[in-house]
Amino acid sequence: MTTLNKLLDSFHEIASSPKKQLDAYLSEGRKVVACVPVYTPEELIHSMGLVPMGAWGGDIELKESKKYFPAFICSIMQSILELGIRGEYSGISAIVVPSLCDSLKCLGQNWKYAVKDIPFIPVTYPQNRKPDWGKELTKVSYERIIRDLEAATGVIFSQDALARSNKIYNEHNEAMRKLSEVLEQHPSITAVQRRDIFKSAYFMEKEEHTALVCQFMEALSQVVETESKLKVITTGILADSDGLLKIFDEHGLQIVGDDVAHESRQYRIDVNLELEPLEGLADKFSRMDHCSVLYDPEKKRAGYIVDLAKKHKASGVVVLITKFCDPEEFDYVTVKRACGEAGIPVIQIEVDRQIVNYEQAGTMIETFKDMF
Amino acid sequence: MGEGGTKPKFTIDPDSAKFKLNEIVVKHYKEVQEAKDRGEKIGWCASNFPQEIFQTLGIKVCYPENQAAAIAARGAGQRLCEISEAEGYSNDICAYARISLAHMKVGETPEQNMPLPDFVLCCNNICNCMIKWYENISKELGIPMILIDIPFNPDYEVSDAQVAYVRSQFLAAVEQLEEITGKKWSDEKFREVMDISNRTSRAWLEATSYTKYTPSPLNGFDLLNHMAVAVCARGTIDAAEAFETLLEEYKKAVKEGTSTFRAEEKYRIMFEGIACWPHLRATATGLKSRGINMVATIYADAFGFIYDDFDGLIRAYCNVPNAMNLEHARDKREAIVKNTNAEGLLVHTNRSCKLWSGFMYEMSRQIGEDCQIPVTSFDGDQADPRNFSEAQYETRVQGLMEIMETNKGGKD
Repeated sequence: MTTLNKLLDSFHEIASSPKKQLDAYLSEGRKVVACVPVYTPEELIHSMGLVPMGAWGGDIELKESKKYFPAFICSIMQSILELGIRGEYSGISAIVVPSLCDSLKCLGQNWKYAVKDIPFIPVTYPQNRKPDWGKELTKVSYERIIRDLEAATGVIFSQDALARSNKIYNEHNEAMRKLSEVLEQHPSITAVQRRDIFKSAYFMEKEEHTALVCQFMEALSQVVETESKLKVITTGILADSDGLLKIFDEHGLQIVGDDVAHESRQYRIDVNLELEPLEGLADKFSRMDHCSVLYDPEKKRAGYIVDLAKKHKASGVVVLITKFCDPEEFDYVTVKRACGEAGIPVIQIEVDRQIVNYEQAGTMIETFKDMF
Repeated sequence: MGEGGTKPKFTIDPDSAKFKLNEIVVKHYKEVQEAKDRGEKIGWCASNFPQEIFQTLGIKVCYPENQAAAIAARGAGQRLCEISEAEGYSNDICAYARISLAHMKVGETPEQNMPLPDFVLCCNNICNCMIKWYENISKELGIPMILIDIPFNPDYEVSDAQVAYVRSQFLAAVEQLEEITGKKWSDEKFREVMDISNRTSRAWLEATSYTKYTPSPLNGFDLLNHMAVAVCARGTIDAAEAFETLLEEYKKAVKEGTSTFRAEEKYRIMFEGIACWPHLRATATGLKSRGINMVATIYADAFGFIYDDFDGLIRAYCNVPNAMNLEHARDKREAIVKNTNAEGLLVHTNRSCKLWSGFMYEMSRQIGEDCQIPVTSFDGDQADPRNFSEAQYETRVQGLMEIMETNKGGKD
């Protein structure tokens, strides 16, 4: 097996078996902290020697979560809670939940009663995040996370360790941005494989992931591409379903860039290493933009997606709307309009962690492809 | 708000609270239209935005949430929702937002008109959905948006850090509004507005507290109508006087043993959630026909702001029901249940409101256990008529009534 294929297998293995990763960390005596979307300050957790692991739910049947959530709460929240109640996070030291949307606020409140053995740590982000007083609230909120993590794990925070973690995360951000650029040149990498690389980042420490991604890019540089595919941009919270992504591959669509929260939105902004480490981390949040859960009165996200499509010469934008995600549902109208004005075709596909049959999406993608 | 458009006309005593409260709402819409016609800049405003800011500046605003409720109560919710859906808005989005965005598009809505805004004032202490809704208005109309961000408080008490953050935004909002409208801030006027707002809130809270009497001097559904004034005119003398009149009327009713609940009050319940405006008659009748009066609701607290000073004002806006954690929200409700001797809890699982419904199952379980009262929920929507089933509502209310009856030691 070639190095490239071995690496792709590794990404796939890690992406598809987070429980195995968790158990491995726990068996090494490591303490693990679950990080709920959309943004958690993983750098803080990492700096304390804890392992941050992404908790974005799973494609599972919902049963227990329905005792807490009505049906019109998105399946990401529902399945995170379901996994928690089922004991899939057993052994985790704490779960960090930001309150960037109304459903996230509810997840934290429900968690306290549904999963009593894993402490809930809230993140209170300011929406007016750019002025100094907004940054101050972010910093205070991070200080609270530190206190809660210290209480939950007994580990002590230090600014020096955070400085190192900020650097490690910046390096990972850079690698992921580069990866996205490199993949544009490699249509042979499937949508499922692309997802595996992004997803695996949530289940391993970032320095390890950076190393794997760099090895992968090195191996990929040796590959001579012979095929070409229809280039598209994806946007949404999550592009995780195998069933859906296989349709991209079956119909010859290549994701040449994304505005997906689970993927590239995480990696756009680095910490300014010249600032005091905690201040730098708060400053990072203040500079984050172009996201449905971050206050954006000028709706700059729509223009960002248009620019992304133009930059990568994409034929169209695939909007993956997570069912019941109202931030994304509101943005869709402005995104659709901006793309329309720029002459960029858009298709909207509703995604849900409970959908097993993407036949309708397949028909839409087929029709979309036939336009070209 | 309410069913004013469908009720038969009759003469109301002009000295009555009902007349005064109705007049305030009429005057409110009239004044904002007149201001717009004069060329003044007017705003659309979130229901829990600190009204002290624009009252002090003498700026006229109107309230999309009040408008959407009125439109829905007058039967036009679906028509407006469908206009937004045709624009690409999902039918999962809050129906108030869909109605408001539709009104923005069409410009005129006969069921409850209001002029288009020159700026929007947003405050997310009720939900983050407000931010997205107002962002889209701001972008679509090319007008400024002012956001006072009041994050959901995961702790029981409001922290000093949160107060400092919101205070800074309050001051920034004043500056932005001065710039937009050319009007000037006056500390003296601000103190006056704070005094009036407290006076109004005290009268509102005291009047609403009269549901503690058995029988209650009022049909709890009356509060749903009066709430519009608590939202749109809290900082005005007119509202203070009208609520004081309402209070006097309730005092008199208690003394005389009368009530606006036109049936024998056999059962007393807490109603949880926003009213089901498109089906107000069905939801009210389903209760009244069984002798069930709604005597407890968090609504009263939601629009009563009592404070001593500027920081107190900020804390009050941070402490609205939808911005507080489960334990605090639960304790407030349990205090109301106990104070009003409510015997059951009827929960509106409101498809439009993720935040209000998203941890209500757990909270209502706890309230039921702690207060030893039965809890029932029904599915509905604050403004989209398609998300309600009268048959389900009737069955659930009947079930609740039967448990309350059993608890009274009555027939099985």
